[in-house]
Amino acid sequence: MSLETIEFAENPEPRCPCVLLLDTSGSMSGERIAALNAGLLTFRDDLLQDNLASKRVEVAIVAFDTTVRVEHEFATAENFHPPILTAQEFTHTASGINKALDLLQERKRLYKDNGISYYRPWVFLITDGAPCGEDAYVLTQAAQRVKEEETNKRVAFFAVGVEGADIQALQGLSVRSPIKLKGLNFREMFVWLSASMQRVSHSKPDEMVPLAPVGWGAV
Amino acid sequence: MLINEVFDQWLVVAVSLEGTSHQKRNSPCQDAHYWQLAGDRILVAGVADGAGSVTLSEVGSLLAVQTAVKGIASKIVESSLPDSDEAWSALLTSGLNDALLAIKTEAEVRQVNLRELSTTLLIAVATPNIVATIQIGDGAIVIADKNGVAKALTTPPIEESLDLVTFLTSANGIDSAQICLWEGKPAQLAMFSDGLQMLALQMPQGTAHAPFFAPLFRFVSETKDLDLAHQELTEFLRSPRVCDRTDDDLTLLLASLAS
Repeated sequence: MSLETIEFAENPEPRCPCVLLLDTSGSMSGERIAALNAGLLTFRDDLLQDNLASKRVEVAIVAFDTTVRVEHEFATAENFHPPILTAQEFTHTASGINKALDLLQERKRLYKDNGISYYRPWVFLITDGAPCGEDAYVLTQAAQRVKEEETNKRVAFFAVGVEGADIQALQGLSVRSPIKLKGLNFREMFVWLSASMQRVSHSKPDEMVPLAPVGWGAV
Repeated sequence: MLINEVFDQWLVVAVSLEGTSHQKRNSPCQDAHYWQLAGDRILVAGVADGAGSVTLSEVGSLLAVQTAVKGIASKIVESSLPDSDEAWSALLTSGLNDALLAIKTEAEVRQVNLRELSTTLLIAVATPNIVATIQIGDGAIVIADKNGVAKALTTPPIEESLDLVTFLTSANGIDSAQICLWEGKPAQLAMFSDGLQMLALQMPQGTAHAPFFAPLFRFVSETKDLDLAHQELTEFLRSPRVCDRTDDDLTLLLASLAS
């Protein structure tokens, strides 16, 4: 009797979408944006180390300053080639948030249409200032949208403040407590993010993702 | 143990294994299974998968599956098999209620939140003429008739996202349970946790993948030596073929009724 003849069902891998929502306003220029760019490469390399995560985690980049741009469409680690970001002008955080959530909605529709199952998507906002250049009601609306998505467990939204960030303003945008980045520890932060995405893509938590302690920042 | 040729009863080979990701994280196997015979060719079997994110899920899964199986088996032994759909539902649901009560008590004794013992639960009662199943959360129960046609009686529920699993301990847990009564003559039965579902089922429809089940069902129906079969099934689940596709805890319970 042999179990070697068993054949497996060919199902598409479940996906784990993650949007990096990155502040590229003027205040991020210089060594900040350089450290962020280097961090993105670390993120990719780290995801590639993990067999399942490299198949399941899909990363997209949305950058915001005075404009909002999709700098990278969703891609698995293998096909993730981070752009070199430059920093300029104002901080249109709300427009960035809306774009990130729109992008996820579209992605989830695509998954559903193709019979692909998925984990709860993540948005990872990284900013060093306060929202600037947008009307207050636009911000309130974006914050409300984040709150709704979190409450309905459709998205997990994380906000990271680089030194000088208005943490209070971030608190208003995110249901979870914002995390304050220590120095320019982007590398460690992305290693943590990669490890967390690996955990998400492997396990089956019910409500909370069991995250590793944040060594690179403070809540 | 060698099986007597004339032994006319359910024969069960079941394995629960720690997944490779759990080994990496040093967490124990959170899956559990349990089964019991409740009379002539009546099998009560269960599989449970403790939530990955909580501390005592391996306690929750084992407690749930043992309590439910023992409770249902003793009710069948005490009275008889249910004679209506309603009576079957009531019997299966009572097993889940017993399991939930046991978990609540355990949580109180340990002074922890009920959530720490979160687990899925799949129960099947298989007789020569009917198979009755109930399931909360992921995993599936598949049967084959004597022609070898595999059919999924329960399937993983479709949720908004994969990490939103309903557990026995969830607020709407027991209300959300899938119940299925299959009237027919079962030849084999398979129950498994979510670790195998992407390999064994065609998703998202949740239909049984025939080339997966046919060799397994042949394997269990031709088993002559239970220890050897257990070893072979363990080796199969540990093989790179399986582990490359899933790193979750794995449970597979196979049963065959000699005809």
